Formats: sequence, C-alpha cells, structure tokens
Amino acid sequence: MHTMRRSRVPYLLLVPAVAILLLGMGYPLIWQIITSLQEYGLAQQFGQPAPFVGVDNYVTLAANPQLWLVVGKSLAFCVLTAAITMVIGVGLALLMTGVTKTARLILQIALLLAWAMPVVAAMTIWIWLFDRRRGVINYLLDMIPGVEMNRFDWLASPVTFLLVASIIVVWMSVPFVAFSVYAGLTQVSDEVLEAASLDGASGWQRFWGIIAPMIRPVLSIVLLLQLIWDLRVFTQIKMLQDAGSASGDYDLLGTYIYKLGTSSQDFGAASAVSILVLAITVALSWFYIRSLLREDAA
Amino acid sequence: MRKMRKIGAVAAATAALVVLAGCSTAAPEDEGGQDITLWLMGGDTPDALRDYLKTEYADATGGTLTIEEQDWADALAKLTTALPDAENTPDVTEIGNTWSPTFTTVGAFTDITDLMPELGGDDLLPSFVEAGAVDGANYAVPYYFGSRYIFYRKDLWSAAGLPVPTTLEEFNTSAAALRTDGQSGFYIGGEDWRNGISWIFANGGELAVKNGDTWESSLSDPSTIAGLQQLQALYTSASLAPVNEADSTPWVNINDNEATGAPEAATIIAPGWARWSIGDLAPDPEDSTKTVATWNPDKFGVFVLPGVDGGVAPVFAGGSNIAISAASKNQEASKELLKIIFSEEYQTMLGENGLGPANLQYADALGDDEFATALIDSAADSKLTPAAPGWAAVEGSGLLEEFFGKVNGGGDIEALAAEYDEKITALLNG
Repeated sequence: MHTMRRSRVPYLLLVPAVAILLLGMGYPLIWQIITSLQEYGLAQQFGQPAPFVGVDNYVTLAANPQLWLVVGKSLAFCVLTAAITMVIGVGLALLMTGVTKTARLILQIALLLAWAMPVVAAMTIWIWLFDRRRGVINYLLDMIPGVEMNRFDWLASPVTFLLVASIIVVWMSVPFVAFSVYAGLTQVSDEVLEAASLDGASGWQRFWGIIAPMIRPVLSIVLLLQLIWDLRVFTQIKMLQDAGSASGDYDLLGTYIYKLGTSSQDFGAASAVSILVLAITVALSWFYIRSLLREDAA
Repeated sequence: MRKMRKIGAVAAATAALVVLAGCSTAAPEDEGGQDITLWLMGGDTPDALRDYLKTEYADATGGTLTIEEQDWADALAKLTTALPDAENTPDVTEIGNTWSPTFTTVGAFTDITDLMPELGGDDLLPSFVEAGAVDGANYAVPYYFGSRYIFYRKDLWSAAGLPVPTTLEEFNTSAAALRTDGQSGFYIGGEDWRNGISWIFANGGELAVKNGDTWESSLSDPSTIAGLQQLQALYTSASLAPVNEADSTPWVNINDNEATGAPEAATIIAPGWARWSIGDLAPDPEDSTKTVATWNPDKFGVFVLPGVDGGVAPVFAGGSNIAISAASKNQEASKELLKIIFSEEYQTMLGENGLGPANLQYADALGDDEFATALIDSAADSKLTPAAPGWAAVEGSGLLEEFFGKVNGGGDIEALAAEYDEKITALLNG
C-alpha cells in the first residue's frame, strides 16, 4: 500500500503542468492542423463555413517552388546564424573566465544590456546604423581608403539584406549563449584543468579534450534553442522589410507565413506552412531528444 | 498562519481590483453615452480635424470617441484580424479605397443604405461609393480623395530651359535630361506601383479586367506592356531612387538637402497633402529637433501629369473610404459619428486641409490656388484599382511591388508580365 501511494504522487504533480500545456499549446496546434485541411480565407474569417479540402493546401504548397526556396533560405540562415552565435558566445564565455573581476563585470553588464533591449527599440537603431543615406556604417566604411560605400544600400539585395539580419540576430542572441556557457564553465573543476596543463595539454587541447565534453549538455541545448529561434525569426525580418523591400525575395519562413495568412488572407495555406515549420523544428530537436533518452537509459 | 493571512489579503486586493476594473468599463453607459473607437489610417487626417471629431462626438452623444492611428503597411493585417471580432473591432474604420470591395463583399461592414441621404447621397464621390457597394446596397462610403500630381523645382527646370510638359513623352524626356549623378530628374522608387500605374493607365492599359464572371490579371495586355516599357525607360534614365523602394516620402528629395544645399530630385509625384512638407526648410521655433517647410513659389511648382496626347493622364485615385464594422456593438453611436463626418463643417475642414472632401458639393473648400486646381484636374480623370473581390489579397501579397521592382530593375517585361499574370489571377477572385 505504502509504495503504491508513493508512485502515484509524481503523476498527480504532473497534472497541472500537462493541463496548462494542453490548454495553452494544444488548442492553437489543433486549430492550426484543422485549418490547414480547410479552405479558409477572408470569407471564413467573417463567418462563412469553411469546407474541408483534405490535403489540398499541402499539395499546392509542395508544388510551389517559391516555398522551397524560402525553406532553403531559412534553413541556411538559421544554421549559419546559430553557428556564428555559438562561436562568439562560447568565445565570450571563455573570455569571462580568463579576465579580472572588474573586466568580467563590465562585460557581463554590457551583455545584459544588449539582452534586455526590447527588439523594436534595438531594430530601430540598427536600421539607422545601416541607413543608405546617413548610416554610421556606410560613413565609417567610406572613410577607409579605396572603399566606396557612400549610399550603399544594404537592404537592396537579398544577400546583404540577410547578412544585416544575421548580424542583428547574432548580436541579440550572443548574451544568452555567453551566460549559459559561462554558467557551465564554472562547473568545470580547476583541478582537472590544472592536471591537464601539467601533463602538457595546450589551451586548444584543454578546450576540446576537457571543457567541451564536460559542458556538452549546456552546449547542445543552447545550440538547439538557437537553431529553433533563428528558424522562427520574424520581428527582425519584418522590420527590415518595412525599411527596405517587402517583396518575396526577402522572405524567410516567418514573414512568408505572415504574408500568406494575414496579408493575402489565405489562412489555410498559412497554417499548412506553419505545420511544415513545426515538422522541421521537431526534426531538428529529434537528435537532441534521442541523445537525452539515451543518457537517461544509461 | 501569519503568512496565510497575508496571502489572503493579497487575494482580496486582487479581487477588488478586478471588480473595480469591471466597474470602470461599465460606467460610461450609466452616463448615457457610448464609447466608440475610430481607426484612421496613417497621418493624413490633421490633428485639428481629429480634435473636432472628438469634441463633436462628445457633445452629440455624451460618449468618448477614441481615435487610433494605424500604420498603412500593417493596416490590412489588422483589419483582417480585428474586424470579425466583436470584442476587438474598431466601431468605425477608415479603409483604403482599393480594399473596400474585398471587405464589403465578405460582409465586414454594416449596410448603411438608409443613412445615405443624410450623408450626402448623390453628391458623394461616385467611384468611391461604387467601390463600397454590393448589389445596390451601400456599406463603405468615401472619406476623402487625393489624386497625385507632379511637384517640380521651377528653378532647375527653367535653368535647363525646359517648359512645363504638355505630353507624357515630353515629361519623360525632360525628366531624363534633368538627371545628374547626384540628382534624379524624376524621383520614383522601383517598386512604387501606385505611382507607376499612371503610365499604364495613360497608355490605355489596365491591371485586371473582368471576363464574364471572373477577374483576370491583364499585365500582358499590349497597352499595359507599352506603359510598362515607358516606365522602365523613365526609371532607368531619370530616377536614382533604389529599385526596392515602394510608395515612400519623396518630398524629402525635392527640398534642399541640409548637408549639400541642393535637392536630390528635380521632380516628384506625390499626393496633394505633400505640399505641407515641401519648401524652404527652417528650424521649427517650437521644437529645435524639427524643421518646418515654407512653400516658395519661385522655387517650387506643381502640374498635372500630362497624357499621351496631351491633356491629363489618369493617375491613381488615392484616398479612403469609411465604414461601420458589422461586428461593432455600438451601431447607433457609430452612425452618429458618420453624421458628424459628413456634416458641412467637417467636409469643409477636409477641403481646407487639402484633402478632397467626399461630398463634392464642398469641393470649393479646397480653394482655387495651384494645389486645388491640380488636385481637381488630376482627380477628374483618376482611376481606381480593379474592384475584384480578391484585390486586397493582391495588395497584401506584395506581388505588385515585386513585379514593378523587377520591371524597373531591367527585367524582361513580357516574360515577367506572363509570370505575374498567373500569380495575380490566382488571387483576384477571392
């Protein structure tokens, strides 16, 4: 009897969390799946019945080369941006362990301010920095002899547009990576590192041979979160589009769905693309979840 | 125990707040007035007019009128999500005239046919009334109109020995002649289709035509192609504006640049209310971070875009409609607001501020200066975009910006027209 009661308690304690998750995330998800199987346009938004069309929305989308272009661009954008964020973030975390207390404090406060800055405020400043006419970036680059950057329009071609977007997203996400990894680093025992350096391990060897494996759980969850966030990036792209061009060449998945749904009023197709994004996210996370399960089993 | 009591106190305070909040929303009804919300698009309606509406509404009903300004760029998305929702809908909303057919067709607005005689009836701008009517019933009515015309630098044009052009071709040639490395002869963004369509209309082309019961995009029509070829040549030879710039604020380019003392454009096309931003710049005495523009008739002038064979080219009929949301809980109060907007006094105020009044009886209020003449002349021949049920979706999709950007970027017009005809036709019929 005693053991029976004890084994039930954890499940009971899980009930509120699961209920909130189901309510908060299950409802929109189910609505989205249903909508993606319907013809749902402006008329349905204003109360007309929405006819079920099976997988028509998916079939139409699969045949649309523009969607696959956007998916490709988004994946490339999220992998590159997440990778750069990780490199800079880990670098800053290592720097924090290496510098004096005052320097570390200054670094931490600076990172914290960047992290705490509201996206819209930060974006406004970034857009000013890259402004074609009066931007500081062009002004500074133009001062380098031989570089002709006066009036260079960063937002005029998709490549430089996404480059600017990537720089901004990296700037916004580096603090999170740096702090998480720094927290991980404080758990690496000094004795082990000291022993390794006595045995003649170089700094590079110590990082790859000792530090990286020890903080691997932190690195992998942070990388996964970065990948997911950078795949779903919306505000930064939308605001850059408002400053530059909103034409299709400048779309990533977030703005593509927004345009398809709220602007062109095809909620069925927009839901179908959202489900696709969900599938990509699950696929990305799958490796991580599998390794978690394996660790649990071990 | 003490801790428990504290939590109890917090809970009681929270409950009290909730109750109080509930009271405050219910209160105005006790005073007899209904609070309503009006959405205005962009900053075109001057503050004085907004204040007038608020005061008059309070006097007439005892309620409060809240005016919320929506950005044009996101307005379509906001209208789509807010209008069907009784809890979040604006009671009355301004809506882009070209979006009226779409929202009217799906039943977003209240039928106000009965109210029409009181609002001005047959005196209201006919093309806009039509855009907001379905099967003879009226839903959205005109708010103001403002066709676009040309603002030019008299000093630069006369220094180059160029007269005011009388044909479209002469305009194109003069604009190209005025271009230098640092100055657009005619400043137009590559994606700016709202101004670019004037060249299509002038050549007898259309964006879409109705074939029987279905709408078809007509970019491949020979007349449309002819207009696009002219536009492409003009953009290439006369404009330094970025190819990815859409409908923008071109007046910053015609004023003297503060840094160089010279303008960046000899000519622009803009709605009439741009005049308040054009002129000699001086620091604002009330706010040193801003500048005020004073119109200088020796340096600046206006004319109407000429047609292919002289006369006036049909330009985009800019402006808005206004309608009551069908989901609004305050239908009667909303009708009161419409009556105020269509009163002689408010219509006159619109005209005095350079906005074409919906009721043409009060068009005199625009005055008889060069701006009023240009506005009235250009409005006479102006054209609306196709009244197709899916037109708002076409605008929302950004396909027109894309198409015009690619054309002006030097693309193959016929191939692009065929490609975008297919994409746009798919959206046109709702």
